[in-house]
Amino acid sequence: MAEISVKYERLIQDLRRDFRPQREWGEGRGVFLVIGHFLVGVAAGAWLFGLAFAYTPGLVIAFLLAGAGGLAHLAFLGRPERFWHMARHVRTSWISRGFVGLALFLAGAALYLPPLLLAAWPWDQASALAQAGWLLAGAGMVVLIGYMGFVYTASKGIPFWSSPLHPVLYVAYALRGGAAALLVAIALFGPPDAAAAGRLIGIWIIITALVMVLFVLEIYGALISGNPASRRSVRELLAGRLAAAFYGGTLVIGLIVPAMLVGTRLAPLSLGLLAIIGLCSTLGDFFMKYTSIRAGVYLPLLHRAMAR
Amino acid sequence: MRWGMVIDLKRCIGCYGCQLACKAEHGTPPGVYYARVLKQEEGQYPTVRQLFLPVLCNHCEDPPCVDACPTGASFKWEEDGIVDIDHDLCVGCRACMMACPYTNRYFNDQPQHYFAQGMTPYEQTRTVRHQQNVVMKCNFCRDRVRAGKPPACVANCPTIARYFGDLDDPLSEVSVLIKERGGFTLLPEVGTGPAVYYLPP
Repeated sequence: MAEISVKYERLIQDLRRDFRPQREWGEGRGVFLVIGHFLVGVAAGAWLFGLAFAYTPGLVIAFLLAGAGGLAHLAFLGRPERFWHMARHVRTSWISRGFVGLALFLAGAALYLPPLLLAAWPWDQASALAQAGWLLAGAGMVVLIGYMGFVYTASKGIPFWSSPLHPVLYVAYALRGGAAALLVAIALFGPPDAAAAGRLIGIWIIITALVMVLFVLEIYGALISGNPASRRSVRELLAGRLAAAFYGGTLVIGLIVPAMLVGTRLAPLSLGLLAIIGLCSTLGDFFMKYTSIRAGVYLPLLHRAMAR
Repeated sequence: MRWGMVIDLKRCIGCYGCQLACKAEHGTPPGVYYARVLKQEEGQYPTVRQLFLPVLCNHCEDPPCVDACPTGASFKWEEDGIVDIDHDLCVGCRACMMACPYTNRYFNDQPQHYFAQGMTPYEQTRTVRHQQNVVMKCNFCRDRVRAGKPPACVANCPTIARYFGDLDDPLSEVSVLIKERGGFTLLPEVGTGPAVYYLPP
């Protein structure tokens, strides 16, 4: 009863505010949605780089992460037993498209991976089944890399997320997450070839720079958009209730620490160091997503109606 | 036909009658408000004024909540334009809550009651129809409207600040009021085409 009462009182307080914070995505069970989006994005990126580097451990990690991401999504849903209904509205709903993308990816990867791992599997890598799996997983990967940003952009109630840069930023997150996941995989299972780690670090640096530029542009866009809710979200992120998570998680863990490890060459780029860079990068991406989702506030209604 | 509502802000006295009538009609649990009244004070003594803004689902012409819903649980009735929820299809993803610019959707995530002793017999009777872990919102009291009655908030407004009618009929009371008194909608810039209009205070 006490918990219900606290939640009720908080809702009443929120309804009285000019800028009502969204709490459904990112708080309580809502954190599973952030985890799900994060894992699925990393999985899609890892699959892409796993294919590019012909690196089977990377593909396996991508498959496992996508499965875990799917479970996290189910844990978030209010009625997970009805999840299969989510394929019904692909025509307009980005969540529905993401659900179909994840299903394609998991089904395709389940067909494509076993012959890579087990010599005695009923079908081999050149078979039609494995090729169909490659195609399905590839299509699913493209959807998973692309859909998430649009889920937020379609959320018209939260202007901070409605930036046209948001989908591009989420594509960049997925790529950065994928590169980072592969760095960790290389540290755990060894590199596919001698030059792979160096090339992957190079890719990671380029994508990280892209993420930084896009993020700064998005914040700048929110500040100059003239939308008070967007500006409020930026304030929450940079100087409000989420500032500690943003500066500590996103900037320090996700950017400064790996950048120092790569840039200043405090130590030679050993496999262990690659793993640390990869882990910091993915953790930073999680905080980036978590804080920008939690920073969402709804458009205020009363002021503008009464200003007429 | 397209059902719509007009709320005269000059007549609204902020009595919360609409909110209570709605609660009584639908038996919504605590924390779920199909209709509510936003209230604010402006100015400094002695020139102070109170502002009231009754809000509810806007039953938009182009509802972003319907587009965002992955299951089709949020939908729009073709015959009367009312935006409704099929609770048997809702998975509780809350995408519609993020898509609604008017924040008039609520997630019913746990058994709730108003008093510390637990559910009263009245609450048990009235809340039994509501599913848990789904999103809830106003449906313009569609059952009442189909039976020829106005929505509960309209019928119970003591100052007759609310009007209900067909927006597609240019001669209906709501259409005439909007035209003659400069009715406006909330957040027109988001382009959803609300069916709830306000008359200036």
